[in-house]
Order: sequence, then C-alpha cells, then structure tokens
Amino acid sequence: MSNKKLSKRNISRRKFLDLSMKGGLLVAATPTLLSGLVSFKEGTKPMPGIATDKSTLSKVIAKALERGGDFADVYVENRISREISMEESIFTSGVYGIRQGAGVRVICGDKTGFAYSDDISEKSLMRAAEVASYVARNGSDKITPIDLATAERKSYVTVKQPLDEIADEKRTELMKRADQAALDYDSKIRMTEINYYDQVRSRVIANSEGLYLSDELPLIMFIVNTLGDDGNRRHMGRQRESYHSGFEMFDKVSPEAMAKKAARESVDMLDAGDSPAGTMDVVMENGWGGVLVHEAVGHPLEADNIAKGIGAFTGKLGKKVAAECFTMVDDGTIPNYRGTINYDDEGTPARKNVLIENGVLKGYMTDVLSAKQLDMKRTGNGRRESYRHIPIPRMTNTFIQKGTDKPDDIVASTEKGLYVQSLGGGSVNPITGQFNFTCRESYIIENGKKTKPVRGATLVGSCMDIVSNIDAVGDDLDFGVGFCGKAGQTAEVTVGQPTVRIRGINVGGSRA
Amino acid sequence: MNYKELTKKLVRECLNRGADKAEVYLQNARNLSVSVRNNDIEKIEEADSIGIGFRVIVGNRLGFSHCNDFSDKSLQDTIKRAIDFAKLTTSDENNLLPAQEGYTEVEGLYDPEIVKISMDKKINMALELEKLAMKDERITDSSGSGYGERDTEVFIANSNGLSKSYKSGGCSLSVGVVAHKGDQRSSGYDWSSRRFFADLDSLENIAKNAARRAYEMLDPKSIQTQRASVIFEDRVSSRLIGGIIGALNGLRVLRGASFLSDSMNKKFASDLITITDDGTRPKGLASAPFDGEGVPTKKRTLVENGVVKNFYYNTYAASRAGTESTGNASRGRYTSPPGISTHNILVPAGKHTPKQIIEATNKGLLVNSLTGSGLNTTTGDFSGGAEGFWIENGKIQHPVRGLTIAGSAEEVLKGIDMLGDDLDMNRSMITPTLRVKEMQIGGV
Repeated sequence: MSNKKLSKRNISRRKFLDLSMKGGLLVAATPTLLSGLVSFKEGTKPMPGIATDKSTLSKVIAKALERGGDFADVYVENRISREISMEESIFTSGVYGIRQGAGVRVICGDKTGFAYSDDISEKSLMRAAEVASYVARNGSDKITPIDLATAERKSYVTVKQPLDEIADEKRTELMKRADQAALDYDSKIRMTEINYYDQVRSRVIANSEGLYLSDELPLIMFIVNTLGDDGNRRHMGRQRESYHSGFEMFDKVSPEAMAKKAARESVDMLDAGDSPAGTMDVVMENGWGGVLVHEAVGHPLEADNIAKGIGAFTGKLGKKVAAECFTMVDDGTIPNYRGTINYDDEGTPARKNVLIENGVLKGYMTDVLSAKQLDMKRTGNGRRESYRHIPIPRMTNTFIQKGTDKPDDIVASTEKGLYVQSLGGGSVNPITGQFNFTCRESYIIENGKKTKPVRGATLVGSCMDIVSNIDAVGDDLDFGVGFCGKAGQTAEVTVGQPTVRIRGINVGGSRA
Repeated sequence: MNYKELTKKLVRECLNRGADKAEVYLQNARNLSVSVRNNDIEKIEEADSIGIGFRVIVGNRLGFSHCNDFSDKSLQDTIKRAIDFAKLTTSDENNLLPAQEGYTEVEGLYDPEIVKISMDKKINMALELEKLAMKDERITDSSGSGYGERDTEVFIANSNGLSKSYKSGGCSLSVGVVAHKGDQRSSGYDWSSRRFFADLDSLENIAKNAARRAYEMLDPKSIQTQRASVIFEDRVSSRLIGGIIGALNGLRVLRGASFLSDSMNKKFASDLITITDDGTRPKGLASAPFDGEGVPTKKRTLVENGVVKNFYYNTYAASRAGTESTGNASRGRYTSPPGISTHNILVPAGKHTPKQIIEATNKGLLVNSLTGSGLNTTTGDFSGGAEGFWIENGKIQHPVRGLTIAGSAEEVLKGIDMLGDDLDMNRSMITPTLRVKEMQIGGV
C-alpha cells in the first residue's frame, strides 16, 4: 500500500474546473450516435460513428495517459429502456428512455482519475481524458497511440426475439395476465403492482492494453407485487424474474404462475404470528435465500476491501474459513442469467470462479485495479452501473454449490428453529462482516416439522460465523434474481442456493 | 443554449405532435468527488450530466420518455416515444399538471463560493481529515476520506404556462476508519453535508466522531434475549421516524398499503411525537422553491402529539384524494416521472439530554447503528439488526453487537416515553434521541 507523501500537485484549479464546467454547455451542439446505435440493434454494423472507432479511441487513451499512469480505458454506452407500470389494475405509466455517454479512466499506482460525458463526440471524449489524466503525476515519455485490436470473446447470451421488434401491447398483455391471475387467486388480494422493464445496453470498451470490444446485452425484468388484506392485517407478496434474453424469456416464465406465487404468499402471511427472538437454527429454502451468502460472504470476498487490507477475509486465502460442506461459486457464464455478462465492463472474460471450496478460501473477485494491487489474476468481476460510474469488483451469478442432503431430511432433523421460505433484502458491513436480513416469509420449525407462519423476523450475525455454522446442504440448487447495491452503484445479479441449514443465527422477532 | 426557452419550445413541440398536456423537465448537474486514502489521492471523479424528461398526457393517458442527447432528431424521436407510450396506459382523469401559481422564496440553496475554492484546498481538507481521524492509537486503518460537491440546475415548463427554474448545490466531507484488535475489526464513519462550504463541520469534529465510533465498539459482550428499554440515538431515530413518513405518503394511503391508511386524526403514536415537513428552510438540504413538478413548497405539520394531521401528495395523488397538491412531488433525476416524497423533516426536541435518558434507564439498549428494514410501512411492525451499548442502572456497561430488536407498531410508537433535546439542524431528517419503553431484544 502506498504511504508516500503527497507530491506537490500542480493541477491548475481554474483549468480543472473550467474543463468540467464546459461539458454540459457543449452537449447540445454535437452530433448523435443514436441512429447508428439503433441500426446496430437491427444487426448491421456495431457502433459506427466518429467517436467509437478504433483510431479515435486510441487517441483518447493516449490523451488520458499524457501525464503518466499505468492503465487507461474508455467505456462508451448506449442504453434504450422501456418501463411499464401497472398499479391497482390500471397502467399508470410508460417510460421510454435513451441514455448514452462515455467514461474515461486513468489508473496510476493506487490512484484513479475518472471523468464522464453524456456526449460521445471526439471533442468531449478528449476533454474527459484530459480531466481524468490529472490524477497521474509520474510524468511519462511521449505516449504514442496504441493499436486497438478487436478481442475474441465467447457469448453466453442468446436472443431469438429481439426486444425492439416486440410490440408494446405484447408487454402490457403479460401484465394484464399477471394482474388477473393474482386477483382471481383469492378475494383477500386487494390490489397488485406489476412492473415490466427491459433494456438493451450497447457497450464499447477500449483500453491501453490494446483491447477493443463491443456488444449489446438485452435484459428483461418482470415484477409482481400483490397486497393481501383481510381487514385486519396486510402483507405484500413479491415475485421477480429476470434474464439477459430476448422476449422468448416468457416462453419459460409464466406471468400467471408468478402472480399465483406472490398471491399465495400475501394470503398465507395474513395468518402469521409474531416471530420469536433469540439464537436458533435456521433452515433456508432454496433459491433467493442465496442472497444471504451473497451479502454475508460474497461482498467481503470482493477484492477492493481486501486490497485495502481492511476486508473481513483479508489474509485468509488458502485457509479454512467455512464448514467442509460449503462451496461457493461466482459464475458469469451461466447462459442468459441475469448476472451473466460475457465479459465484464473492463473487457475481462466472464469465468466460473470458485470462491470457497469445501470450506477453504480459494479466491477473491477482482477488477483491473484490485488485481494489480494484489498481484492476482483478473476474474471478470469489474462491473459498472453505467458510463457514469467507475468499475468496481462485483458479483455476477453467485451461489452455494449443491450438496447431497435431501431438503425434507434437513427439516426433519431440525428439532426447533425457523424455516425461512423467502427473504427480503439485507446488507453487510464488509469490514466487520456484520450482516442483517429481513425475512419475507418464515415458519416455526417444531419437532422437525414446518408449522405456523411468522412475520417480521430479522436475521443478524457475522459472516465468519455463518459459513462455519452451515451443517447441511441440500441437492436442490435453485436461483433468484435481484439488484445489488454497492458504493452508490446498482448491478443486476442472480443468487442461488440449495436448501441449507445454519446452526445458531440470531433471529429478531417481537415474541420472547 | 437558453434552457428556459428550450423547455418552453419543447412543450409546444409535444402539443404539436399530439399531446393534450405536456411537461418538460431539464436537469443539468455537475459533480466532483475526491477520495484519499493512506495520505494520498485514491480517486478523483468529475462529471457533468444533462438530460430531459418528457411527460405527456394524451386523452388523460400518461406517457413518459427521457433522453440525454440534445440533437434535434433524438429529441423528436423521444417525444414521439412518450406519445406512443401514452396510448398504452389507462385513461385517468387525475393525470393533471399544475398551474404556474407563485414562487416560495427559499434562501441559501446555492453557494457561489464552492467552485472558486481550489482543488488543492479540497484535496488537502480530505487528507487532513484522514490524518486527524487516524490520530488515536486505537485506530489502525483508514477506509478512506473524501470531499464531494454537486450543483444542479432545474428547468420545468408545462402546457399550463408554468415555467420555472432554480439552482442548488452542496458539498460534503466524510471519513471512515477501522480499529483492528486481534480478530476484531470495528469500523467508524462520520460525515458533514452542507449547502454552504463555510458551514461544513470542523475536520476535528468529523474525525473525532468517526474514530470514536470505531474504537468504542471494540470488545463487545453478548447479552441474553430479553425485553428491555431501547434508546435510539439521533442518528438512528431517523429510521424509526422514516417509517412513519413512508406510511403518510398520500398515494400509499390511497392504495391501502400503509398502516396509517385509516388513521387520519387518530392517535397512533406517543404524545411526544410531532412531525413537520418543511421545504422552505433556509439552507435546508432538502429545501427547494418548488417541487418536482413546479408546485411551491410549504411548511406543514404531518403529525401532532401522536395524531395524524396530514398526508402529503403530488398533483396526481392529490387529485385522486380530492385535495390540492402539497408540494411533495419528487424527482430523482430527469429519468423518471414525479414520485412523492417529503422535504426537511423535523421532530421537535424533547426535554431531556441524551445523558438524562440513559440515567433514567434501569436496563436497556442504546442503539447507535441500525440495519435492516426498520419500521414496515405496510404493517407498522418494527424489526431490525442493532449495535450499541448495554445499559444497567442508568450507566453504560459495555458495547453490544449482532442484536435484533423488534416490536409491533402499537408497542413501539405508543411506547416512546422520552425525547431528547439534541437536534442536528444540518440534516434533512432532524430527529432527536428517543426512548421506547420496552421492546423485544434478541441476543444469545
């Protein structure tokens, strides 16, 4: 870690600020790439236009490294999105969005300079490169523009029905079907909130190592919320499905089935009692429950805090950190999954990374910067929310590898505890490893049987304890989808797990 | 480019293309952030962003689109998309736009000095802040310190002749440190966020607080699962009050998704709890002359002595409820239609110092960090993870970690029996220390 004294910086403050102030005013006068990008979607040439060709980006990179630095990259993005909302059986809004821009980054030692622009003209990119370059102070020999070459990458995302060829009425049709199915399920379903979102994200990545890549990733998310109300209690049930896929996703995903699942949760939980409090054994149902290890173990294994020497798993590589039966994987290559990325937003190919194998810590998830700092390989986890954000280590599809136990046996061998059927959200402090979770739907286990539902349970604990205390891993691996927030950025992720049992978690409820 | 004229021109364009009503919202923002760690720059980020959101109403149907590409072709295409999308949505006579009305004058939203202060000074402040936070020998690592600033200009125009704009800005300092002892890692964080540079808290204060929060939590002990008093420090009492605020959202109330849906003029919380929402406070972090659709902001009482007095609305929700907008339309960026949110929330101070509240507590938990969902706005139940200190006989005994606290709406909100006199007027959510008489605490 760098401990050197800060050298005298000679950033001219006026110049720095002037550079940054000008950006917004020039945007209006510059040409657009939009038509080019739209035609790209129709399958012609990838990203034509003045500012995404190799020679321009090569100049931008050279400019970014003008004052020194070890690495520079340019990320150009165009995102076209559609979002339709239905609440209380009426379509309340339709939002169509076009967002495009470019970010330029320079890494110099442990330092990062970053600037972005909403405009993708050469002039704007050169200005962003100049702003980003100020972070480098080590001077440099005259940089000659590097040759960019298109890299080979595998694709794990297939599209049969491109999103821009789908009539909007097909989207609203799915929503109507889900709404009707939920309301038909039970008269206690008071209303639904249904959200359809899709986007096509086109990206161009170029860096000072000569890499050049471009692709486009479609993404669909469908969310059904149902409110159960028996005049006394209320409960909001939820189902979410999401894939990097064309519209054929709905060949596999049934809006009616999702609606029924959400409605069932809403109705069943109206009878829930107060949750007990205290330390107890927890059986976590397969699927979305994987978000627990995503938070509790996944985030602390992202290499940024490890490189800083402050992460909870710092210095534990190769050591036993978890129970023998625990193997955890992050895999960005599962075809069409929500967390699948082909290559990360720095261009590193997606991989299947085993993080913990039979309880032994095997690796961290890195981006370009943390891999360099730790002298480790790049694992394909350098992700960014958009061109407005810098890449940071992020998870993709993260899951507990399936074991050999039968889910029924796991419950039957648990004398007393909590069966968590569905989790809400949670978070972790990656330094202390303290995590917390809210249960959406859980049941008391008594004498090896799942009994009455309880509401409002919170799970807390430390990540080190949880992985040591897992003592049963089922053979029923399944997945769930979500949003992952970190450092002000959101990433689309999948989490997964088979049914597992964790001995001794602190459960919070209002009953003694 | 003259953005005021541009927004007005684009409103006409929407009408020409078939919208019956139209609103154009333009946001122009500039950000700077500097992070330092281990006495050196770690990251400098600098950016401008600008974009436009179009809200069109065609025969009472709502469509919305946004773009950040100002070429004529893109703007035209984006308007067309909004109008096309409006055809998909359901006709709703509550899809209305506000009229021009007046302005509320709000002082102190923009500090012109911030951009004049040198980058070197800003970087040096972050470096100094980190150094001060590392001074205590119990602090072993830095997780970084930073300086950030942002300014935003907003222009709104609509087909009712409304045309308004304002500029606002702010700056902040923050630092995080770690106390590493044996196998334990304890982190502490503090920040100061202000409209004006000169109002930022002193580096010494921010540093001291961050360091204290890290080392004071070392060597926690466990406690038994039990019922006891729970004291929420001002920093976390805002989470409890935030749950009430969420439940007073007028649209949530109309949908029956709030535990306060049927509680107008009813008592649901302790006499000690009064809540005001004020969009007009000078230098307030959540102040603005008008809301996200141009309606002037106000100061309103939401809760008085534990009784619901008012819900809050944007134009759409107000029309549905048969009332007037309360100036609470929110707008995150230009990329989404108006939502509903409050401005500066204040719970007036109580009579006791935080020390007196601790001294009056025979057995209880002082919470300084709260995780999880907190107060559920649909059910009113409270559940969360907690850290803090264990109190016995009016004295702090030791730090505690990994606890849970929970209680029903009735138990928690009516059980608030002491209110502190400590208010940090520099936040957007100003709530004092408060004590809940008894809650369920989960431990070992």
